[in-house]
Amino acid sequence: MSEKFEDHQIRDKIQIDYKYTMGGQSKFFIELMKNKKLHGTKCTKCGKIWMPPRKNCSECYTPAEWVEISHTGTIEVSTIVWYGAAEFIKNVPYGCGFIKLDGVDTALFQGIFSENLVPSKIKKGRRVRAVFKKPDEREGKMTDFFFVPEDEYEIWANKPEFEGGE
Amino acid sequence: MPKKVAIIGIGITPFKARYLDKTYFELAYDATKLAFEDANKNGAEITHKNLQSTVYGIYNELFERQFMPDIFINSYLGMNNKSGTRIATGGATGGYTVRMAYAEVASGISDLSLCLGVEKCNDCYDEQTGTTTPEVLNAIAYSADMTYEYPMGMMAASSYVTMVNAHFEEFGNPTEEQMALVSVKNHGNAINNPKAQSPMKITVEDVMNSRIICYPFKMLDCCLYSEASAALILANEQKVKELKVENPIWITGVGAANTDCFIGNREDMGRLYSNIYAAKAAYKMAGLDYDKIKDQIDCAELHDAFSGQEVISYEELGFVPFGEGGKWIESGGPFMDGEIPCCPCGGLIGCGHAVGATGIMSTGEAALQLRGDAGKHQLMTIEKGRAISHSIGGPGAAYAAVIVMANEEGVKKP
Ligand SMILES: [Zn+2]
Repeated sequence: MSEKFEDHQIRDKIQIDYKYTMGGQSKFFIELMKNKKLHGTKCTKCGKIWMPPRKNCSECYTPAEWVEISHTGTIEVSTIVWYGAAEFIKNVPYGCGFIKLDGVDTALFQGIFSENLVPSKIKKGRRVRAVFKKPDEREGKMTDFFFVPEDEYEIWANKPEFEGGE
Repeated sequence: MPKKVAIIGIGITPFKARYLDKTYFELAYDATKLAFEDANKNGAEITHKNLQSTVYGIYNELFERQFMPDIFINSYLGMNNKSGTRIATGGATGGYTVRMAYAEVASGISDLSLCLGVEKCNDCYDEQTGTTTPEVLNAIAYSADMTYEYPMGMMAASSYVTMVNAHFEEFGNPTEEQMALVSVKNHGNAINNPKAQSPMKITVEDVMNSRIICYPFKMLDCCLYSEASAALILANEQKVKELKVENPIWITGVGAANTDCFIGNREDMGRLYSNIYAAKAAYKMAGLDYDKIKDQIDCAELHDAFSGQEVISYEELGFVPFGEGGKWIESGGPFMDGEIPCCPCGGLIGCGHAVGATGIMSTGEAALQLRGDAGKHQLMTIEKGRAISHSIGGPGAAYAAVIVMANEEGVKKP
């Protein structure tokens, strides 16, 4: 005789707190937080500029040195997110994509904000510029800044919660 | 010289949204038992006691709520005091697991091995919405770089869509309608797969009208997360003879490659070099040609996590030249009666995506097609006796694995 199955579910949560070091990449986050500067690294052998920065060139196995990077760049590819993880659902819709900052060899993933968030506004080839959180809001994290279409820069840089880079 | 390796047993549990009556190790047990039943259907008597090693494919500790879930499965399967190794390569976990289990048998360190994949994601639960999916997506989102990408909302869809959008910028396709055809095909194929989670007869319009997820992917362009397990029993040639296996499916090629996990470091964002290198390596090992592969295989079980990405896979796997994937699906190429039927079982979109199990399920499904044992979704034309399975995963689909299989005993007429 088979017994009727009854399931039992247990509520649980896994949570770990961190205070993690960014090691050799630390300068990028310090400059971002304190001075609104974006720093990449340039290979001392092949000259490739890495962004996100890496202290050693993965192609040449040679040290790379810090270089200041432009706040302007070009969108390589983008999307608009309308649904997602619990962590981000409160932010939808949001734009994001890969941006090749002027002079850099790699593209950086970042948020792309717009007053008129439609695919054509943030498509490949659009020029963008970095906008930063206010000094006391910056934590030395990637979320300290984002990009906006160049023609919206003044609007975003003048919002009370944000500021432009110098 | 590597030994020849055959798939001699295939066990796949139904792919379901939720198993309330089974834990991940209980699901793994079910698939393993099904694989024994398949291997023993002609009178052999293989049990877990005959297996010499296991390779486990399990993607995500947060799904299973357990570090090293493989060792707990190992206990439940009665596989103590033998080697058990876990593979975790994102969505490509299944394909990579097949490759490593193949390597154990081919190298001679095991004569008879279990290749087992399992995943149970929907124990994750978002208390705020009272649903599972946002929390499942959270557990997956930690696959992106945790410092530079995750905080800005990089997730599975926003990562995969990047390649598709970059491909569109370069070639003008796949269009949204072409992508929707993948969804129509795979949900439709799933109707004939009793183990599938999402069998549906739908139209391109249904896909186009489904809610936007991540531009231009819509709800019906995306696979659903599933709970399931899949198991293969692999044997060397001597064991195949000893056990008098009547329908061995030989693994003749395995290829895998990891491309840069930072999409922004890639020279060409509209192409998945992991797919290209994995396919070329697998085809070469199997003695096949990347440029002629369309004439050399009967079918392919592809990794269609997102519809648009199946379209670009047609190109990367060598079925059609670059830029022609969209046209190929419009012409019916990957449909059940097309040039290379892709995802006869329904793929991830139709059958489901139980991450660690998925690539093992698709390898098993391709093998069943070659045996003529796929049931209601069996293809009518298996002539070349060869098929491939394909798995991709990880940040920006950095991991890819391709498996080539062959039926050398002659094809049974379905
Ligand atoms: Zn260098």
